Amino acid sequence: MPTESKVAKLSDISKIIKDGDTVAIGGSWLGSHPMAVIREIIRQKIKNLTAITVVGSIDIDLLIGAGCLSRLMFSFVSMEAFGLAPNFRRAIEKEGLPYDEITGLAVIIGLEAGGRNVPFLPYRGPFGSDLVKYRPEFYKEIKCPFTGEDLIAAAAIVPDVAIIHATRADNTGNVQIDGTSGTDVEMMRAAKKRIVSVEEIVSPEEIRRNPAKTKIPGFQVDMVIEAPLGAHPCSCAPDYVFDPWHIMKYMQAAMSPETFQQYIDEYVMKPEFEYLEAIGGMKQAAILRRLAREVKFL
Amino acid sequence: MTQYAKDYSVGELMCVALAREIDDGDVVVLGSFTPLAYASYILAKITHAPNSTLLAYAAVDFKPFQLSFIRAESSATRGAACIWTMLEDLNSVHLKGRGDVEAISSIQADGYGNINLSAVGEYDSPKLRGPGGAGAPEVIKMHRKMIGYFPNHSKMTFVPKVDVITGTRYVIGAEERIKAGYRPGPIRYITNLAVISKEEKDKPFKIDSLHSGVSAEQVVENTGFELEVPKDIPETEKPTKEQVRLLREEVDPYGTMAFDFKPGKERLGYLNEILQKELEAIGYA
Repeated sequence: MPTESKVAKLSDISKIIKDGDTVAIGGSWLGSHPMAVIREIIRQKIKNLTAITVVGSIDIDLLIGAGCLSRLMFSFVSMEAFGLAPNFRRAIEKEGLPYDEITGLAVIIGLEAGGRNVPFLPYRGPFGSDLVKYRPEFYKEIKCPFTGEDLIAAAAIVPDVAIIHATRADNTGNVQIDGTSGTDVEMMRAAKKRIVSVEEIVSPEEIRRNPAKTKIPGFQVDMVIEAPLGAHPCSCAPDYVFDPWHIMKYMQAAMSPETFQQYIDEYVMKPEFEYLEAIGGMKQAAILRRLAREVKFL
Repeated sequence: MTQYAKDYSVGELMCVALAREIDDGDVVVLGSFTPLAYASYILAKITHAPNSTLLAYAAVDFKPFQLSFIRAESSATRGAACIWTMLEDLNSVHLKGRGDVEAISSIQADGYGNINLSAVGEYDSPKLRGPGGAGAPEVIKMHRKMIGYFPNHSKMTFVPKVDVITGTRYVIGAEERIKAGYRPGPIRYITNLAVISKEEKDKPFKIDSLHSGVSAEQVVENTGFELEVPKDIPETEKPTKEQVRLLREEVDPYGTMAFDFKPGKERLGYLNEILQKELEAIGYA
């Protein structure tokens, strides 16, 4: 019997992501966020999502600005050197977006607990932090049952869906990540349904030539989507760098809701291949790949 | 005899002071891309701390690289001895208590070892919503030293009490730290005026050293919490000629480090200049 292919088109994501779902979004800082899938969520007008990010940036800011989120769990959302995330700030300062700010390790350990199917995991957590006090549904101060030591319990996090972007996969969903995996692996283990977009779909034989690179085996994946440059304007290390020129354009657009709407219309509300043309096509892709290769060691 | 530089920027002085916090053999973690911290770790690695292990993104024990605004992640990844997931990193370094230095910065900091990266004003209706602390609330507690760097030493940053405690050192003092399962080490802040540190819970921050031309009064005036002012405060050790040369010619020829010191309005223009230089360096006009 032939193996069942999990390969799907971007437009198929609505078979998995539904209005009101809790969605864990992979990637970290300005790296490897599943931006093609994020744009597709906006195109399909999937709404009332709760997003979970550890270290988010333009992925979260774009979803907020497009009105897709009704709640956000995060430890960090920033455009790094480009500044604070404009839609994220506006939504919290002016529009009252509900959010759960959780320390970075608690989100990661919570996802790990979700993946292990236990309600919490203990660690020497952030005692004294106000975040522990403000969000008791995610933190409890506990005593070690063996030594009596004070510990913090991080509540398990079980997302409805995890979406990540990776280097390559085969059609059964064996995923290889050559660069920064962030918390992608933990998100995929914890979530009920899982979507991965990849730079390239390769043969099962090619995956098996280098099995040590496989971070997520196929049984933990429900859908595989080929999306070359699918992290743009974020990086997919070590293949291409983030696109600072596009991010500056984004920052400018996100200054006000009106100009941001123009950005959405101009770049997002069109098929993904037209997005890639709009950001400079093959020529821009070549520059970003070249920059990622030309590094200098000391 | 050590030859000290005469011509250096305050950024270079802070960068070198931070580099001197790294001992040979340390495990050093780079979090978010902050050019000054990256430059200082790489400088330490190619000078006095060749046996330090640097971690950034997923990369472990990466080869020191030339800083670039865009290429830090691909440089670290391509030079890595090992690629970890974030959880492998946390389990092995943070939770195990094996981290030595991971410098942080903060919107506000106070005299108790608290930092605020969350919100200025009320938490639920903030005047300014900050980015959040990422791993900082845990890092500053778990690693051997808590090191902060602050390019703008002022009462806006150094406040009597932070509006929100995103994170705190919590266990301060050698005995307390050992009892709680941590290695002892100071809280130390490197600023554009001075170096200050706190080693005991019930004692205030003390001025360790003053940068050339800065008076103790100036530091006290610009600090919103109590400082211990010793009688004889040494001058912060200047960067050596060689350290300045390495920073300018090898580690950071594009000048990414100066980015942290540019006022908000000038940043975009400066960034465009750096990007242009980076493109030219790979043959694009």
